This record gives sequence, C-alpha cells and structure tokens, in this order.
Amino acid sequence: MARRTVLYRLSPYLFLIVPLIIYCIWVVGPMLYTIYLSFTNWDGVSSPAVIGWRNYQKLFRDPVFYISLTNNLKWMLCFITIPVVGGLALALALNRNIPGAKFFKTSFYSPMVLSLVVCGLIWSWMYHPAKGLINESLRLIGLDALAKGWLSDRRLVMWAIIAVGVWRQVGYVMVLYLAGLQGVDPTLVDASRVDGCSNWQTIWHVILPLLSPVTVVVVVISIIDSLRAFDLVSVMTRGGPYYSSSVLANFMYIEAFNNYKMGYGAAISVILFILSAVFIFLYLWRVMQTEMEY
Amino acid sequence: MKRYLLTLLALVTTLTLVVACAPQTVTVTVERTVPVRETVQVTVEKPVAKRIVIYNSYMSDPAPREADAALVKMFEEEHPDIDVIHSTIAHEDFKQAIRAYLTASTPPDVMTWFAGNRARFFIDKGLIMDISDVWEKEGWNESYPKGFRALSTVNDKQYFLPASWYWWAVYYRKDIFDQYGLKPPQTWDEFLQVCETLKKNGITPITIGTKYPWTAAGWFDYLNMRVNGPEFHINLMLGKERYDDPRVKKVFTDYWGVLIQKGYFLENAAAYSWSEALQFMIEGKAAMYLMGDFIRDSYPDELEGNLDFFRFPIIDPNVPIGEDAPTDGFFIAANSQHPEEAKLFLAFLGSVKAQQYFADTLGRLPTNMGVDTSKFTPVQLKGLELIKGADYVAQFYDRDTTPEMAEKGMAGFMEFWDNPGAIDDILARLEAARQEIFAGQ
Repeated sequence: MARRTVLYRLSPYLFLIVPLIIYCIWVVGPMLYTIYLSFTNWDGVSSPAVIGWRNYQKLFRDPVFYISLTNNLKWMLCFITIPVVGGLALALALNRNIPGAKFFKTSFYSPMVLSLVVCGLIWSWMYHPAKGLINESLRLIGLDALAKGWLSDRRLVMWAIIAVGVWRQVGYVMVLYLAGLQGVDPTLVDASRVDGCSNWQTIWHVILPLLSPVTVVVVVISIIDSLRAFDLVSVMTRGGPYYSSSVLANFMYIEAFNNYKMGYGAAISVILFILSAVFIFLYLWRVMQTEMEY
Repeated sequence: MKRYLLTLLALVTTLTLVVACAPQTVTVTVERTVPVRETVQVTVEKPVAKRIVIYNSYMSDPAPREADAALVKMFEEEHPDIDVIHSTIAHEDFKQAIRAYLTASTPPDVMTWFAGNRARFFIDKGLIMDISDVWEKEGWNESYPKGFRALSTVNDKQYFLPASWYWWAVYYRKDIFDQYGLKPPQTWDEFLQVCETLKKNGITPITIGTKYPWTAAGWFDYLNMRVNGPEFHINLMLGKERYDDPRVKKVFTDYWGVLIQKGYFLENAAAYSWSEALQFMIEGKAAMYLMGDFIRDSYPDELEGNLDFFRFPIIDPNVPIGEDAPTDGFFIAANSQHPEEAKLFLAFLGSVKAQQYFADTLGRLPTNMGVDTSKFTPVQLKGLELIKGADYVAQFYDRDTTPEMAEKGMAGFMEFWDNPGAIDDILARLEAARQEIFAGQ
C-alpha cells in the first residue's frame, strides 16, 4: 500500500521527466549560457573572454538602448489599451445573434492567421509613399497634406508600425473575449436586468468582473507580445531611419548578428528577459491575490 | 492498422540503417543497391573512397546560382575522382552562418566571401588557410593584377582568391538626358547643373532607397574620395583618421548637404529598398542612381538600352581618383579536412577556364588577366575602362571598415539626411564609436 502511494505521488514527476529534460536542454541551458555570454566580449569566432560588467555599462550609456526601450514602452502602452478595449467592444457587439456576426468575427480574426512577416510586407505596400493605398486614397479625397512618408518620417514610423500590430491584435483579443463571454452565466445577466440595470451597468458591474480572468490573460499576452516585438520592425524598417523605430529585440539582433557583438547582444537580451519577467510576475502576483477573493 | 505499423517499423529501421551506413564511405550514397554492395564484399579490396570537397556558396540569386552549379559540374568532369558537396545558402544568412562554419571542427572546405577587411578579420584570427602554394603553382602571382594580389595578401602570404568584381558608377537614363539636352557630367558643377535642369522639369534627379542604408554609404564613399582623396578615405575606414575631422565635415556640409537641401534626392527615400527606388527610374520619374553594376540584373531587359553610366563626377581635379569596385572570391578554411581536394578546387575556380565561364554568363568582370576579353560586351569594356582609369580601388564602405563601424556610420548618414543641422553631434558620436571599436587594434 505504502509503495503504491509513493509511486502515486511520484508519477506526475515521472511523466514530467522527459519534457523537463527537453526544457532544460533547450530553454534553461541556453538561457543560462546567454547570461554567461553577456559578461563576455564574444564575437562569434574567438573564444569568449569574461569582461565583467562592461557590456552593461556600455548598454546603459548607449542612446540606442533608450530609444529602443521607449519604443517598447510605447508599443506596450498601445497594446494594453487599444486592442483590449477594441477587442472587448467587438466581442460584446458580436456576441449577440445579429445577422452576419459570423462573417464579422471571421474577418476581424483573419489578420491573425497571417504571419507577422506577411502583415509587415502588406502594410509596407499600403504605406508606400508614392503609390500606397493610404496615400493614394488621401490624395483622392484632396487631403494631400496628410499623405506622409509613413515609414521614412522618424516621428511617424514607430506609430505606423504599432498600428499594424494593433490591427492584428484586435481580432485576437476579440476571440479571447468571445470565448470568455461563453462562460458568463446568463442567469446573472438576467438577474441584473430584473434588478433594473441599464445595459451599461450590466456590462460594467456584472459582465466585466466575470471576464476578469480573461482580461488577465489578454493583458499578459499583450505585454509579452509588445516586449518581443521584432518581426514587424525587422521587415518594415529594420529599426530605421537611424534607430527611430528600433525596439529591444531588433537592437539585440543587429548588435549580435550584424555587428557580431554577441556579448553585447546577450546583455540586451538579458535586460529584455528581466523586463518581461518583472512585468509578468508583477501582474500574475496581483492577479492571484484578487482571484482568491473571487 | 497492423500492416501500417509494420510498414512504419520497416521504414524506421531502414532509415536507421541508412544513417548508420552513411559515415563509413561516401560511395554508399551512390551505389546503395543490394547487388553492388555484395560485389564490394566479394572483392576483398577496400572500397575506394571517393575524394570529396565541401563547398558552401552564397550565390543564391537565380543567375549566379546557375553559373555556380555549372562551375561545380565542370570541375567534377575534370576530376572524376572528386565529389563536390555543394550547398547554396541565402546571401544574408551566409554572412551570419560563416562564423559557425569557420569555428566548427569540420568546416566546409571552400567558401565564397568578400575580399578586403571582411576576409582580413578571419585571416587575422587564423581561420583561413594560407594558399601561397596554390598562387605559386598556378602562376597567379603573374596572371593576377597586383592590386588583386595585394588584396589577398597578409604578411607576404596569400590567403584569398579574388574571382570576380563589379564597378560602381552613376547610372542614368539616356533618353531623359537626351530629352533635356543633357550630357553626362564630368565635374561637380556640371553635375549640379544637370540636377537643377532635371528638377526644374519635374524629374527627380537622383533616386535612392535607404531603407537598408548601404546605398547612402555609396554616396559617402564617393564624396569623401573625391573631396579628400582615396588615401584619407581608406585610413578613415581603417580607423586611423577621426570622424570629427573638419575634412569629413566638409563632405557633409559642402557637398552631400547641398544635394539634400536642394531636394535632388528622391522624396521619402528611407521608405524604399534599393530595388523599390529603382522603380522610379524604370518609370522615367527619376534620372540617376549611384549603384553597383548589379543594377542591370534588376533592370528590365527591354529597357536596358536606355540605361548607361558615367564616372562619379570629379570634384577636385588635384585629388587622385578612387572608385568602389567590390571583389568577391573564395578561400579555404584553416582546419579544412580535405585540404588537397580544396586546393584543387580553388585552383580550378581561379583558372582562366572557370573565370571565362563566369564572366561570359554573368557579365561580372574576371580577375585573371588571362581571360579573353574579346567577347566582352561594350558595357563590360566600359566598366573595365572606368576602373583602369582609377588610381585607387576601394571595396565599399561596409566592406572596408568593420561591420559595427559601418552600421553606426550608416545610421549617422541617415540621421544627417533627416537633420543636416545636427552634423557636429553626429560626427562626435561616430568619433566616439570609432575610438571604442578600433581601441583594440
């Protein structure tokens, strides 16, 4: 009997051994190695020599680091507001049995099916200053002054790229909320109606609190997505013109693989890792606390 | 279901067998049918392992790729006992992968690469094999021009085989020039005049796409060489001159800045790649493009009659003429496992026969002087003349200086383009970068 309980208690770990080993070799191992590399001057060819904190000291003096960081924060700010609000609004609107709801759901979700690289390419053509859909349309209705070089103007370029990310993210968030709405107990909604709630009050006081677990997921996903933003930037501008649309992941890529500063690139990715970890842990920790009450 | 499982099992077993067989001899891959294997066992002689040479190439564009494969085939016909294991890797990926190749214990034997600083980096690290004996044996010391020999030499030893090169020049639309009675400008004033006339007639004088900013680096190369001379330019590339030198600033304020200020460049250039910007020239909306000769690969064949080029205008006639002519070639990895075969293959790649084939099919210029130029097209001959008339031949900004300096420098050029007033700041930052990057050298 005793043996059986031991086995019983061990069995989850036995099952986990294989994935754990794989995880250690391909995720934890490289992660630790990256941290080690960030203290070296490795160039990809010579054997790495430990140089202490020099990479980090250089990083904190590097203006491109701050440009990239600010851009990541802009990205994050946009991602936890616009797609969340927009996706929620769409989900609430389409959750009713209005005619064509399926069509709209599919169309709003469809950008998500495309890879980011494809989105980046399509939007690069739309943003084409001379022949792009956006500028041509603006000229057609006489708004020539608004026809800008979306990807060549350093003041606009970051927002132009974020807009593409947002466009893609809205449909995703919508689907998450639609799924969440399925789990909302209709009797609670009915009860609120009986108690004389307006539509707005029902949403604000009944549906939204019930959706809060979904909101947690959405916000966490948005933060992670905004920190690992890379594909769109890499395809659309490669961080240009002169770093104005650089984000940390792109900055890291250029330093490590274009400039062959592997050690410096590793330092950037360590910072990126810490940032992501801090945001995610903070949020999860808060969420766990509030979830207890619920 | 059972049968399906059996088939699967059989498949897995065969695959394991194949994998297990592979490392023994290379012949196995060619003759794996059962009867042959038996004969091999009967004749007690050891199977003669076919000699191999591993060749990794970055010629991934369709036309060069085909020519590359044809060369390999020609070599294999000449040496039936040697197999070339040929892989083609996309150009940009190759640049990143080469570091992994070179540090592997069994690297590819022969690889394509850029002459100059980019090769020097690996030579200094002892990762490229000394091939002075091949140079000696093949008589390349005589049949290659001195400049190319110097490009391949470090401490009196040859490490590199320069194989083909192309020139840079200002390409222009002949028909547009004719329409406005313009002649290819030879001096800076004439050049400004041409730009002004084109601009007045609603044609963008100079097209350029700086999404990938190396195109702007071409402008810096030429302006700096024409204003300050190639010697100063190359010393700047080697980190021996300062970026905040007043001579460098002059290039920006007195020449490049003027072109930008007068609006001679394509609008929103930073939104386009080099080939997207070429569209404006193909459509006749822009007239000139400072570009390498590979521009003709992307130019529609039926319109190529309208495309011509002229030497970048002379600014100071007292300054020696420098031109950009990037050279590509081959080398052998220092810890190559098949050095003999690799040297044979390299000797073939540098031979007149191989170079002739490459020059005739692709229109690139050969390095071996033995190549028969009588069949060259007028365009090739004109390019050849252009470079022969140069006192100094540079590789290109991102090949002459270190990758990191090039990346920072090009970002600086783009910032200047956007905000010419900040030039002092920009140059101060580039100077700080130069001091850091070249500190260990």
